Amino acid sequence: MPALLELICPAGSLPALKAAVDNGANGVYLGLKDNTNARNFAGLNFDAKSLAVGIRYAHDKGVKVLMALNTYPQPATLPRWHQAVDIAATTGLDAIILADPGLMAYARKTHPNLRLHLSVQGSATSYEAVNFYRERFGIQRAVLPRVLSLPQVENVVNNTDVEIELFGFGGLCVMVEGRCLLSSYACGDSPNTFGACSPGHAVRWQQTPKGMETRLNGVLIDRYADNEKAGYPTLCKGRFDVQGETYYALEEPTSLNSMEMLPEMARLGIAAIKIEGRQRSPAYVAQVTQVWRAAIDAVKKAPQTFKPNPAWMAQLNKVSEGSMSTLGAYYRPWK
Amino acid sequence: MKLSLGPLLYYWSREDTLAFYEEAAGWPVDSLYLGETVCSRRHLLRLPDWLDLAEKLTAAGKEVVLSTQTLIESESDLKALRKMVADGRFLVEANEWGAVRLLAEKGAPFVAGPTLNAYNPDTLAILAESGAKRWVPPVEMPREMVKAMLAATAVPESMETELFAYGRLPLAFSARCFTARHYNLQKDDCQFRCLDHPDGLTMRTREGDDFLTLNGIQTQSAKVMSLAHRIDELHTAGIDLLRLSPQSRHMGRVVEVFRALLAGDIAASAAPEKLDKLMPGQPCDGYWLGEAGMAYHPM
Amino acid sequence: MKLPNFPKPIARFVSTLPSWPASRAFVAAGNLVAWPSLRDLDWSHVAGRRFRVQVSDLGLKLYFSVHANGFRALHNGLADVTFTATAQDFARLALRLEDPDTLFFNRRLLIEGDTDLGLTVKNMLDAVELETAAAGMPGGMGRVVMKLRHLALK
Repeated sequence: MPALLELICPAGSLPALKAAVDNGANGVYLGLKDNTNARNFAGLNFDAKSLAVGIRYAHDKGVKVLMALNTYPQPATLPRWHQAVDIAATTGLDAIILADPGLMAYARKTHPNLRLHLSVQGSATSYEAVNFYRERFGIQRAVLPRVLSLPQVENVVNNTDVEIELFGFGGLCVMVEGRCLLSSYACGDSPNTFGACSPGHAVRWQQTPKGMETRLNGVLIDRYADNEKAGYPTLCKGRFDVQGETYYALEEPTSLNSMEMLPEMARLGIAAIKIEGRQRSPAYVAQVTQVWRAAIDAVKKAPQTFKPNPAWMAQLNKVSEGSMSTLGAYYRPWK
Repeated sequence: MKLSLGPLLYYWSREDTLAFYEEAAGWPVDSLYLGETVCSRRHLLRLPDWLDLAEKLTAAGKEVVLSTQTLIESESDLKALRKMVADGRFLVEANEWGAVRLLAEKGAPFVAGPTLNAYNPDTLAILAESGAKRWVPPVEMPREMVKAMLAATAVPESMETELFAYGRLPLAFSARCFTARHYNLQKDDCQFRCLDHPDGLTMRTREGDDFLTLNGIQTQSAKVMSLAHRIDELHTAGIDLLRLSPQSRHMGRVVEVFRALLAGDIAASAAPEKLDKLMPGQPCDGYWLGEAGMAYHPM
Repeated sequence: MKLPNFPKPIARFVSTLPSWPASRAFVAAGNLVAWPSLRDLDWSHVAGRRFRVQVSDLGLKLYFSVHANGFRALHNGLADVTFTATAQDFARLALRLEDPDTLFFNRRLLIEGDTDLGLTVKNMLDAVELETAAAGMPGGMGRVVMKLRHLALK
């Protein structure tokens, strides 16, 4: 039977992985401690030892483990990415999540039995692109960027054999993933090459008489009054001046929450729902996994009558950026 | 090295666009990239118009390349893409992997655009196998990495390299239109406000520094990338074409400065002063040096 | 459920404490209670860096650094990174009841100075398993900690 609405949860550490497994995830995704994945933050992620423990813990409970290798390898350090693929193939991981075609070719050739997923960082928004990766590298699942409306997603689903995974909840990239260089324009490091947007070394928070300031390599992203909610120090969630008007020119500090669209996603045959947040704590993973497990179970039982439980939504809003959430591009007027 | 005029990233009136290319036919550029790469709602020139223009420019002795839309969202976007690929008279620049699939199926040679994210030789080799005869590195790729790419054995000798050398940097693409958002309009009813901003809308920090440029669904730098003063490094790095990105004013004179540089008629050190009054913003060259894109190091 | 607040008289008393003895007391307690479960972490990137923890509601400022053999109290001075929150929120973070990013979004946690250092420590602590840490605590403390967490989760 094809996968339907599997719950795929983030893990930046072993306790987070256990929190996801214990609270009902069907799969956990994680990365190694370097720039081979797009959450390259100091102190985060897995080494060989914690990876082995994590895989055993998850597999004992029937939960899959996926590894994100979703940055773009560069000439000088290409062997590191190859090595990461080799590690994934030999440690019993269930799939790897890739963005770079060159790396997919390596994985396909070296480990033909390893299951490949196309990362959201691959920026594939059409079935023509998804089918390219299918034909050339045999990818079995694609994670779509957070830019398509649901009818557009449906058009992709109807024209490919590749399983489709969608983001359900968490940090919202306003830009097409894999095609955003705002971070490197300001500080030199982008998700594509460095594996992080607004890396810690370039971020400064400071309480000033005018309010709390957030800067990226000196560029003022925003200044918050004491009673204002804050967001991540990413450029797309800052306040700027356009023609004399200061506002959130790109997007407010807010998280994606697509829960009310779950019945529609079930109808489209979406294989999996991804929860964002490998940079977050085990407490977040536990809370969010629990809520989404309950929601997906409810949708599967009675899709016609499904309504997000207000308590769930409150719980999710509480952990959201700026304590707000949006349907993002799934809902066309957002665009 | 040759000079190319990149695709027009802004939305101008039909008259202004046609007038721009009429002038451009007389500029000392070798290649011109035509087509709408940013937003499918921009319709003042449609594919037949671009094809007409392409014929005229070819007759004027130029190489013409048709550029595909960067963000493909709908079936109608795909339809437009297929038509462009099917025409077959001109070289096509593929700006996402769906276009690569269609071009490879057809067996047509193509240009691999900057948003295909070829960050390593293996990926560039896949593009070459698929039919790419030229590639444009991601705009954030530094000098040393471009050199390493070209030195790799996986990359065919014949692969041409075209570098984004002048203009506001295209940094990000979104489903959301930031110009419409600025006017509190929905994208589907944007009233084509991009027409009012021939070089985009400047976005400043709360401290008044020009930082980014809003151009519909595209976000650009506010600063203007310029590698004119580094022309010698571009030679050494093995670059074949320099891409100059269109702006609404003084574009012909910008082309002339680069042509004079290539001909050795002006010194690289004199370039910044020559370009200063022609640029819509402050210069930057940080990406090429492996730094923040907004950084600038005059020689 | 919320954790109990500090009784006002105790809070008033604590706020009158000078930093140095407070830092020493904090470090002594930290070395006794927390260090056994933290000593195996890779502290090499953090060793010798100066931390300041400001407990805003108590007006308490703690200065310390971390070394291969445990926490070390510092006299007042410049810190590489400063964490500011209330006693209640620090306690909730320590018990894994609260997500640091959530507290940050709600302006209840502030990290000033070297952000990378702050995030490194945050992520290192997140990677410690609370059960293991509690098991390593002296006396009945581990059981008390787990009990508190259990109660608060209800």
